[in-house]
Amino acid sequence: MVNPIYIVVALLGSAFLSGLSKQHSSAAASWLAYGALLFSVVVSATWLGAFIFNGIPAAEIFTAGVNPPFSINLRMGLEEAFLTLAINLAGMAGLSYLSRDFSIWGQKATTIFLVLIMSVNVVVMTRDLFNLFVFSEVGSIAMVGLIFTRRDTDGYSAGFKYLIAVSVISALLLLGIGFVYYNTGSLNVDTILSQSSLVNGSLAVALFLVLISLVLELKVFPVNGWALDVYQTVNPGIGSVISGVVGTGSLYVLYKMLPLGGALWYEIVLIVGLVTFVGSNFVAISQKNVNRLLGYSSVAQAGLLMVALGAAPLVGQHFLLIAGGVFLSQFLAKSGLFWLAGMINSADTAGWAVLRQKPVLLVLFGFFVLALAGFPPFPSFFGKWQLVIDLAHNGQFAVIAALLIGSLFEAVYLFRWLGEAIKLPVAEGLTLQTPLSRLWPVLLFGILLPVGGYLFSRLTPGFDGFLMVSVAFALALMLLDYLPAWIKNSLTIAGLLLYASLVYPLIEGDLIRVVFAVIFVGGGLLTLIAGYSVKGKRMGFFPFAILMYAGLIGLIEAQNLLQFLFAWELMTLGSYILIIRGKKSMLHALNYMLFSLGGAYMIMMGISLSVFGTQGLDLALMGTSYWPVWSVALLALGFLTKTAALGLHIWLPGAHAEAESDVSPMVSGILLKAGAFGLVLLFLAIGGEANSQQPLLYALGWLGALTALGGNLMAAFQEDAKKLLAYSSVANLGYILFAFAFMTHIGWIAGFTYSINHFLFKTLLFLAIGGVVLRTGTHNMYEMGGLIKRVPWSFITVLIGIITLAGIPPLSGFSGKWLFYHAVIAKGWYFQGTMVFFAGTIAFLYCFKLIYSIFLGQEKDHLRKVKEVPVWYIVPQVLLVLAIMVFSYRPDLILVPLGHTLAAANYFPTDPITWNGLTASTTAGYWNASQIMMVIGVMFVILLGWLLFMSRKAQKVKQFNIVFAAERPFRPETTHYSYNMFRHYHRAVGFLVAPVATRFWNGVDAVMHDVAHSAKKIYSGNGQTYIVHLLAYVVIIYLLMF
Amino acid sequence: MEIVTKLGFVLLGLVIILNWGLIMAGIIRKIIARASMRRGISITQPYINLFKNYSIRSQITHGVMFYLGPVFRLSGGVGIFLFMPLIFGSENWSNFSFAGDLVLIVYFMFFGMLGMALGAGEGGHPYSAIGISRGLAQFTAIELPLTLAIISIAIQYKTLSITEIVAAQQGGIQNWTLVTNPLATLAAMISFLGAMGHAPFNVVMAPQENPIGPPTEYHGTFLGVLQTNRAILHVIEAVLWMNLFFGGATNWIELILKSFFIYFWSVFVGMVFPRFRVDQSISWLLKLPTLIGILAIVIFLL
Amino acid sequence: MNYPSLGQIAMAAGMMLFMLGLWGIITRKNILRIIISFTLLDAGINIVLVSIGFLRNRTAPIVDQALPATQTLEKAVDPVPQALVLTAIVIGLGITALMLAYALQLYRKTGSLDINKFNSLKW
Repeated sequence: MVNPIYIVVALLGSAFLSGLSKQHSSAAASWLAYGALLFSVVVSATWLGAFIFNGIPAAEIFTAGVNPPFSINLRMGLEEAFLTLAINLAGMAGLSYLSRDFSIWGQKATTIFLVLIMSVNVVVMTRDLFNLFVFSEVGSIAMVGLIFTRRDTDGYSAGFKYLIAVSVISALLLLGIGFVYYNTGSLNVDTILSQSSLVNGSLAVALFLVLISLVLELKVFPVNGWALDVYQTVNPGIGSVISGVVGTGSLYVLYKMLPLGGALWYEIVLIVGLVTFVGSNFVAISQKNVNRLLGYSSVAQAGLLMVALGAAPLVGQHFLLIAGGVFLSQFLAKSGLFWLAGMINSADTAGWAVLRQKPVLLVLFGFFVLALAGFPPFPSFFGKWQLVIDLAHNGQFAVIAALLIGSLFEAVYLFRWLGEAIKLPVAEGLTLQTPLSRLWPVLLFGILLPVGGYLFSRLTPGFDGFLMVSVAFALALMLLDYLPAWIKNSLTIAGLLLYASLVYPLIEGDLIRVVFAVIFVGGGLLTLIAGYSVKGKRMGFFPFAILMYAGLIGLIEAQNLLQFLFAWELMTLGSYILIIRGKKSMLHALNYMLFSLGGAYMIMMGISLSVFGTQGLDLALMGTSYWPVWSVALLALGFLTKTAALGLHIWLPGAHAEAESDVSPMVSGILLKAGAFGLVLLFLAIGGEANSQQPLLYALGWLGALTALGGNLMAAFQEDAKKLLAYSSVANLGYILFAFAFMTHIGWIAGFTYSINHFLFKTLLFLAIGGVVLRTGTHNMYEMGGLIKRVPWSFITVLIGIITLAGIPPLSGFSGKWLFYHAVIAKGWYFQGTMVFFAGTIAFLYCFKLIYSIFLGQEKDHLRKVKEVPVWYIVPQVLLVLAIMVFSYRPDLILVPLGHTLAAANYFPTDPITWNGLTASTTAGYWNASQIMMVIGVMFVILLGWLLFMSRKAQKVKQFNIVFAAERPFRPETTHYSYNMFRHYHRAVGFLVAPVATRFWNGVDAVMHDVAHSAKKIYSGNGQTYIVHLLAYVVIIYLLMF
Repeated sequence: MEIVTKLGFVLLGLVIILNWGLIMAGIIRKIIARASMRRGISITQPYINLFKNYSIRSQITHGVMFYLGPVFRLSGGVGIFLFMPLIFGSENWSNFSFAGDLVLIVYFMFFGMLGMALGAGEGGHPYSAIGISRGLAQFTAIELPLTLAIISIAIQYKTLSITEIVAAQQGGIQNWTLVTNPLATLAAMISFLGAMGHAPFNVVMAPQENPIGPPTEYHGTFLGVLQTNRAILHVIEAVLWMNLFFGGATNWIELILKSFFIYFWSVFVGMVFPRFRVDQSISWLLKLPTLIGILAIVIFLL
Repeated sequence: MNYPSLGQIAMAAGMMLFMLGLWGIITRKNILRIIISFTLLDAGINIVLVSIGFLRNRTAPIVDQALPATQTLEKAVDPVPQALVLTAIVIGLGITALMLAYALQLYRKTGSLDINKFNSLKW
């Protein structure tokens, strides 16, 4: 094992040599620098390996031949090895990244850079207070030296402010160190720690000075203007060093010193961290300047790590998992983002669209954003999860809530930024600067992220590595993205089937899961078949499609809450990318992501309330807490953001309507069922029939009924065919919520019937309409018309679809209506039921508008050459029609076994439905689907034959062979009655669809931005004000403590 | 053998209902004429119209759906007939009511409407579509008091089976829903006005002005099919209301009388009141009749 | 009546100097004056550090003829703060030099040394 002191030696030595070298030997000097950094990396890595694999104890390194406390000593333990590895790696990558700038700035810059890296190494390893002070000062001086390389007024003024602030902070530190020595007679951390029982008044003040200055070094909100100005102005390569290297050192020092302060200081750091995390993310919402945004984000992430530090006594043995996971994500992602910023060189986030010139970088940008936002499979997901769970076990719900709110603020700007990069037009004159010396650091850090995620997933209790297989599959598909679409499509289908076949044995006996699995897998297959119609490569589609489906299947497979949330987030992630692929989807996708994340955080909050007082993570814990109403309500609301309940629905219409033709059925027919599945799990967990949440369920029942009514009304007033279908999905999920909220046997049978039906007909309709949209190039129904002759297959499938949707016998939609009536009567929810039935009649309005405006009426001239939709769209539709027919004719095939499953003792033992052959009956009525279908079928055929016979001589006439208002029409546009078709209805009931929810959320958005913008004004840009902030902060914390 | 007998009775019942529907239409038009101080047409006129339409030689078609529309429409009418028990206590005159209960009939009403809407839609005539859009919009509001009334009697009788609802009303007029649940009956009778398409809810068909409404483009055999359906539908819907609110019928005479008076209620109101615009009728239906329907449920919750 | 010891006086003076420096940093507008205030603050801390190690009637901790190595524990003041101060002075010098470099460059670029003028970066 190489003595880590040689890291210092190597770095310092190479710094001196490169400082001494003449200009002509600069190549040799820079190779020397790389060599020294590589050496340091290797030393740290071998130590880390020894700690992990051989389990050796931490090593103390003595200097000057005398034992501490009479000399300076260093420690090399697991944490130090990990962090020095990170620092030296970042140093090496950063040096390469900055090499072009350094070649302009001269050899001095390399020297300063090496000194900086060296000093942070020492700061991490040292156990001596004064040594710490010296090397952090050395680091600061080096840092300011690097800032000096930006040779303009902004750079100089930022550097000066930074210098003044850092000097004041380190003056406080030095003063504190002096008094610590005065009180303890030692500068050695371990010696002082051994005397910590002696903490008296003056030592407490001394420690206060030390610790507060360490906290201030972390640039805590809101006293960090001096650092933000620097972030904004420096070369992003240096920004990454400030954030990744220097920040890491400062954090670790706080970690090292915090035990000196005792329990109170852990609390202080926790609160300070929380304030920093929430506040910094909040003000970042209204920030557009990339570098400053990165600064805010760095500060916020440091705040998050401070929360983890402060929570260390609460989380116990999980501390390394939590802090490590969060740190690794933030370290890799933030460095990567700074580096990308340097390649793009645009002050505005909008300029990041230029990343699309190199898709690899766009993908890595996505990795970085997702890692910061805490998405799986990245390490921060596992860190944040464990942090929240451990806080929950300790009852720290306020902290959890603040963390989740801060995370949501963070998501606002992160995903706005990602969306802009994916969707905005590339600005004129911007080009990517991607020399290899800048490319490889980004690539390396990007690749390390999922690798780290895998490692941390193995450490997290309760996680099953099997779930990572699908992620690996998606990553592999990303690597194969240059292949033609049909190959990748086949691979995706194969992967989906393989995954499903692996999961099936796990859920075989559980019919509730099987039903949803059939919806997810079957729907996946059908919609992917439609994908064969796409020519070319379709880059960036299949990895995310498989992620979404893997997430959905993962929900089914999940054995505990962690796995469930993991799958939930994967699904959200995959569907977000699928949605944002639509032409005008930037804002819709952002809305979708924010609502989804809001929902996920509510689920997280609900979970944390649920696990309080237990040690398990079982799914059955959902909603069974000391505060059942709160946890059930939070979990239910979380799931309802996915099902787009009224008030939370505003993301859905745009997201579904603007998505690609084969994505709409994925996200509408299939994805929404994830929310329904979550509700099912939740409602079963709280005890099925025997639950004690009747008031809450009653409220949810009303919410479902109102959603059904509102969704259908809004659908009836749409002109955009896909929006119409999207609003119809809102309504149908309202039905499903209503049905499950009954918490009776028959209600649940109805809920499952509705779920299956909605999957069948909505996938069918979206595929059919999507195909037509592909051919006509418009979503607007009034621009179509008379297409029955051009796309007869689509007409037939839409006809079947709307008959099912409307619940008209004999098709399967009616089975849902029949069950509904009986469930309503049995439960006694008469008025909600009436509202739902009323909503059902409104469905006729839009069903008619949909099929009439598109397929019937007057054909437009420009659509006369439209061809039938691609056969790849027809095939899944035919399969779906067959499925509808089978389900219509023999609903008992599914409903009878489902009834047996639901009749289990802990679910819904009161089973009011008796099946006599094919006749289902309750005490109130009966219904035989097969007989109905036969009677209607026979009658229909007879009558059709009769009419055909009677009018066999009928003569086919041309389109305009009609007369109205004594005039023969000559233009289809004047004769196609479609636009604003239900104006009269709007006049009567339009007040019900005033966009209240949209206005509300727009208001929230505006207020947030305004407040964030005002809050930012504390960063006045005046260096002295910043110092006043610092001092005031110190005084406030002091007053709070003493 | 059993099925042949069953089919025989079903066909016979259909013939009776169709003929009674045509005769009733003639009688009603005569009454309307007399009430308007006109002499009026012969009561056989509906028969004459039907024969004329079925035998017209020149016919045109706009496409496949144009054919399917009337078939859907007639299937709707005949279907409701098929699932409706006609005469209480008679196995032979109960048709196929064993296949489903009241919910089936309520939802099957939409079958014909939707098919008709589509068939008319293919005609390409804007007035057809206008009529349909009005009809559908108004129908949502008509359904609301009816739904409330149905739920009210479902609470009252604890069943949705029409046969059992009729059974519960046997034993004299004091057991009819009309007496035992007047609020539900009132709400449902207002819905009936809308369902029959007389004033004030007849802007959908607008018979007096330019032809407007679904059948605008239909003629000849197609129109004949629609007229056949209307004859059946008017009687069978009156039979539905009879079964639900007026004690059902134990023999054909009772059925014919009751269905006549129930149907006549809509004619009577139509004679007295002028026509609503669609938005007016919807607003009106969503106020008082809905309130009555709600009250009909509330009294059972108290 | 207890007179304050030399150590206490030194510490009080150092603290006063520290406060004075701090006051200067947050009130003076001229960058050079701010830098001077910083040096005052730095000097104050150094005096405080020295006073921490001060012991009455003892000599400097330099081992020579006057102070044999065997008598350091009895005759010399605590050497650690003195060592700290030496290092702190060096660091302070470095920082002051950097500050001056910045001041020079700012003056060259803008012809002004008013700290209020350098707030183009904000929010």
